[in-house]
Amino acid sequence: MTSDFMNPSPSVDAVLERIIKANDIPPRPLIIDRIRAAMSQDDPDFRQVGQLISADVSLAAGLIKTANSQSFGFQSRARSVQDALMMLGLDVTSRAVAAISLRQAFPNSGHYERFWDASARIAALSGWLAQRVPKPKLRADDAYTFGLFRDCGIVIMLRRFPAYTQTLARANKDSERLFTAVEQQDYPSDHAMLGCLLAQNWWLPEEICQAIRHHHDPSTIDMFESGLPLASRYLVAVSQTAEHILQQLTGASQTQEWPKLGNSCLRLLSLDQAMLAVLYTEAEELLKSVD
Amino acid sequence: MIERPAPQNRKFYESMPAVNPTVDPITGFLNRNAGLQAVARAVAEANSKRSLLVVLWVDMDRFRQVNDSFGHAGGDSVIVRIAERIRSCVSTPGEFLRMGSDEFVVLIPGLDRIGAEQLAGKLLVEIEMPMPIDDILIRPSASIGIALGQVDDYPLGLLERADRAMIEAKRQGGNRIVISGDEPVAGRLGVQLAREELAIESALHAALESGGLQLEFQPIIRQDGSVEAVEALMRCNAHGLKIPPGKFIPVAEKTGLVFRLGEWSLLQGAHCAALLREQGNTTKVAINVSRVQLTSTSFMQALHGALICANVAPELIELELTESLFMDLSATVQGNLRGARAAGVGLAIDDFGTGFSCLTSLKDLPATKLKLDRAFISVLPGDRRAFAIVRAMTQLARDLGMIVVAEGVETKEQLDACTAAGVDATQGFFNACPMSVEALLQWMKSGK
Repeated sequence: MTSDFMNPSPSVDAVLERIIKANDIPPRPLIIDRIRAAMSQDDPDFRQVGQLISADVSLAAGLIKTANSQSFGFQSRARSVQDALMMLGLDVTSRAVAAISLRQAFPNSGHYERFWDASARIAALSGWLAQRVPKPKLRADDAYTFGLFRDCGIVIMLRRFPAYTQTLARANKDSERLFTAVEQQDYPSDHAMLGCLLAQNWWLPEEICQAIRHHHDPSTIDMFESGLPLASRYLVAVSQTAEHILQQLTGASQTQEWPKLGNSCLRLLSLDQAMLAVLYTEAEELLKSVD
Repeated sequence: MIERPAPQNRKFYESMPAVNPTVDPITGFLNRNAGLQAVARAVAEANSKRSLLVVLWVDMDRFRQVNDSFGHAGGDSVIVRIAERIRSCVSTPGEFLRMGSDEFVVLIPGLDRIGAEQLAGKLLVEIEMPMPIDDILIRPSASIGIALGQVDDYPLGLLERADRAMIEAKRQGGNRIVISGDEPVAGRLGVQLAREELAIESALHAALESGGLQLEFQPIIRQDGSVEAVEALMRCNAHGLKIPPGKFIPVAEKTGLVFRLGEWSLLQGAHCAALLREQGNTTKVAINVSRVQLTSTSFMQALHGALICANVAPELIELELTESLFMDLSATVQGNLRGARAAGVGLAIDDFGTGFSCLTSLKDLPATKLKLDRAFISVLPGDRRAFAIVRAMTQLARDLGMIVVAEGVETKEQLDACTAAGVDATQGFFNACPMSVEALLQWMKSGK
């Protein structure tokens, strides 16, 4: 691969587009750094963190909503930012803030409305599924966060390379090769790597970053020796299963991922077809409440 | 409904729970005094039978906050449930002690190191389950220190080792297990080194997930005063401690964490290049790459991933390679270097002239820049032999089409000597110190 793809011949449109896109990496919300800074203290000041979050009304509302959402796995209800902080702890709060801010971090995010909506539904289903199929080290809030971040690399690729749409369509239809292998045929990197780099930049935990990076690879789900942390493998399996359930119920955006990864996912989660059928029914109810 | 004896009846007093002087009334665990005796008995037995014994010291994280928020009654109810959770994890015979308000000790005979680690892991998972208090679900966590019994151990020593390990677990950020390094292995120094490495490793983990990593940038200045490039230098801050790169890089290489640190710095470095470009400076950013990192088959994907994420052209990035790289130019390493070069990324050889310097590497490697080690520069201008080497190396590198940078320039005299020797650019405190990205942008804007 040469560097040419990075520097397409500049037409006026391309130049304009570049200026619009100039703000490169989706910027990490400042509040995440503040929370992290508070966490590094011996005796973190929850009240101060609460005040910081409360200063941003939409973030505060988002945090309370997230803490109370079924997908996050907490049964009790938070009525204030302080409640939510108490329930979640600083670490989970920081991830919840990342999840809430992700969509806003991409300028002109509206262009990808359908993509984000699908991510949100997969995330909600993942969080629910993580509770429905409990496994050690598998946390509902992680499954939710992972569901949101899993494919954010796709948006970065789309923003950089308009022609990526065609690659995406082919990758979705390819029943043989890994999704990322199809991408790598056209580009020197893939959305899984990009998403992983972004998640690292947002200080998400290792398990989530690694899961993002390997979420199209059945061998890493199957093999213990793959070196992927068990929690990451569960996250991948849960979100693929959630996506499959969503596709099954809505018939929307069919991909070839389930034929390629489904068996590995079911094995890891100790599920069979009969149990899957039960999950379809339960998920239908849940989706009504999410939407 | 249980029939209660009338309060005025003598039976009433008999029905009151007997005050057990050895048991903590809240948890049913042994209290501190009785606990110490239990430890003494267990240690004596392990010593006489030459059998195994494990102490786990469990301390709740941020418990003060629970007390502050829910009052002591709320705190007590949490302690009761935590004690239940601890007990539910242990299936073998053992003793349970409450050592302080939120501190517990579990004493298990016959358990080995692996068994102890597994048990502690189970405890962490169990304790971490969400717990409702007053309509709110909290997620408790604990720090666990493990001490393994030694030959001819003594009770307080064993407890103290577990306590110290717990304090270390706490220092590392809590919600984790630390095994006391005092188990009889290797020499004292070995244990200490291993312990230090362990501490650094955990600090790096914490830094990667808590925003404790930072890049600082040091400008490299051409003879005409323009900025040739900026070198990105990684800084690690964890648990309030600054760890120098000389310490954390070797540990990162040993533990494989270097891949993550490396990828993180690729993206941050590329981001800096993007910020500089936005400011109108097409200054290259030089990112240090470890030998270990280049052995990865996904290195190029990560490099391109960073360029795509940050939206910068490959020409704005340069990889700085240490000379130790040349000990092992495997096919993967060479492939990665050629791949980077083919994409337009520059390659700089760092610290040239010391250690593993090898002229063959200059011939074979598609490098674009040579950085002369500070060892040659620090003795300038007095050392004529060093000057001769600098001048000759500069000529050689130039003939090979490379740019030459002198590292570690700290005085005006050294700068003049470098100019006389013909080097293209210099880096060092004399020009500028390493600075944060914000400071760098300001520095570039103000023309210093």
